[in-house]
Amino acid sequence: MMFLRTRIEAIGDAVLGFFRAAVELWRLYIATIAGVARGFSRRRDRRGRPRGEVARQLYSIGNRSLVFIIVTLGFIGMVMTYQACLQLGRVTGDYSQVGSQFLRLIISDFGPTLTAMMLATRVGAGIAAEIGSMKVTEQIDALRMSGVLPIDYLIVPRFLACLIMTLVLAILGSVIMYAAGGLTAQYSFGVNPNSFYDLSFIRPRHVVVFVVKALAYGAAIPIVAGFCGLRARGSSEGVGWATTAAVIGGSFAVILLDFIISASALWLTGGDL
Amino acid sequence: MSERKYIEFKGVTKAFSGKPVLRGMDLAIDKGEVMFIIGTSGVGKSVTIKHLIGLLRIDAGEIWFDGNRVDQLPERSLAPLRKRIGMVFQSSTLFDSMTLAENVALPLRKHGKLGHRAALEEARKRLAQVYMADDADRYPAELSDGMRKRAAIARTLALSPDVVLFDEPTTGLDPVSARRIDRLIRELAEQLGVTAIVVSHDPPSIFGIADRVAFLYQGVVHVVATPAELRASQDPIVQQFIGGKSSGPMETPGF
Repeated sequence: MMFLRTRIEAIGDAVLGFFRAAVELWRLYIATIAGVARGFSRRRDRRGRPRGEVARQLYSIGNRSLVFIIVTLGFIGMVMTYQACLQLGRVTGDYSQVGSQFLRLIISDFGPTLTAMMLATRVGAGIAAEIGSMKVTEQIDALRMSGVLPIDYLIVPRFLACLIMTLVLAILGSVIMYAAGGLTAQYSFGVNPNSFYDLSFIRPRHVVVFVVKALAYGAAIPIVAGFCGLRARGSSEGVGWATTAAVIGGSFAVILLDFIISASALWLTGGDL
Repeated sequence: MSERKYIEFKGVTKAFSGKPVLRGMDLAIDKGEVMFIIGTSGVGKSVTIKHLIGLLRIDAGEIWFDGNRVDQLPERSLAPLRKRIGMVFQSSTLFDSMTLAENVALPLRKHGKLGHRAALEEARKRLAQVYMADDADRYPAELSDGMRKRAAIARTLALSPDVVLFDEPTTGLDPVSARRIDRLIRELAEQLGVTAIVVSHDPPSIFGIADRVAFLYQGVVHVVATPAELRASQDPIVQQFIGGKSSGPMETPGF
């Protein structure tokens, strides 16, 4: 009996802990939005964040992810087109629709989602490790003692930079993916580039879904990573935990948001997406 | 009466994930004195001083500073308190991405409401006071531990606080640097009337510069005494601690 009871209590604790963390995560999100608003309304030197920090973060999150995104999305585009053409060749042998359908898939889903998954690992881990090590070495406490709100100082610049850069990199990644797919189809299966690079099936609603997804992911990644970093405890082990949790949590958030936004878009358009 | 209760901890309790650390701790500190808080690792010395400036929240009890209760203040109302009470952290905690001058300028800009340039100029003066004017434009990673500690102290003193909390200021420093830090703490108290609360295990510091010593044991203040009284104490637990003996009546959980 006792064994059963402790087990049930452990499950209850875990569930409570999860909900508490969810509430804290939500509060961090609200506090970050408030921090962004404060940043816009105040004089430059009164802002909570250091000078030029957003630019530094744009560089660190965006430029430094460039090669990573180009290489991974390029290869994924090649593999996906190759597989699609292979299967189509076995069934119908008609490649005329491959390019246009692939583009629809990229714009309404794979482009922003795969880019964000990659960023959740690279950027999320970086943010969590940096903020986590500041937490365990008491630098966050030192910031608070210096009269700085850690959210304004650390989270807000990363949030703004990630919001912008996820959109930019998603556009770039989608172009690379599409181009790599087109080259693969042309050289491996002899598909005519004019039929592959056919943009006529794209509707404005696809572009809206693309932008909404990219912005939602761009907001979620730094918040989840910053949250994990701020919760780091102890020493280097705590930073390791925070980094792992940030990568898992960030990837999970991307998948969850993908589902929610896709389902909402389908519902809003009455299934005509 | 008010002189005696400049800083006061009353029945403070604090637990971390169910494990009690402080269990109804009482301590009163006078204005201008150098109070040492000693005890074994993990007994809650750093935790105690962090409560005073709202970096940690107590579970129960009261904390008073200069006639005001401070333990229930929300984060936003803590800025004036953190201007008057500075803290030098154990690991120096200079911000790696900033030069020393920028580090020292940060509290001047945020608390002191100085502009960017004015704060940097003031920061250089403060660094000069701790003989680090030539290093103002270097980054913390390029410096030795003792230099980082000095810069961290300069950053804390930049706002001319009434009280300075030192968390193990001499740990990890060579004996010469350690004694220089001790002398600095003593000078602050004697020349500027700064109240210092020092968390330490370092016997030369404890017996060299403390006015009074609070010995923390099992979540409460076991004894408060002057260094001389402490040395003469017949209490077996105090004797074991200051004698640094591995066996004795002292219970040290987890070790």
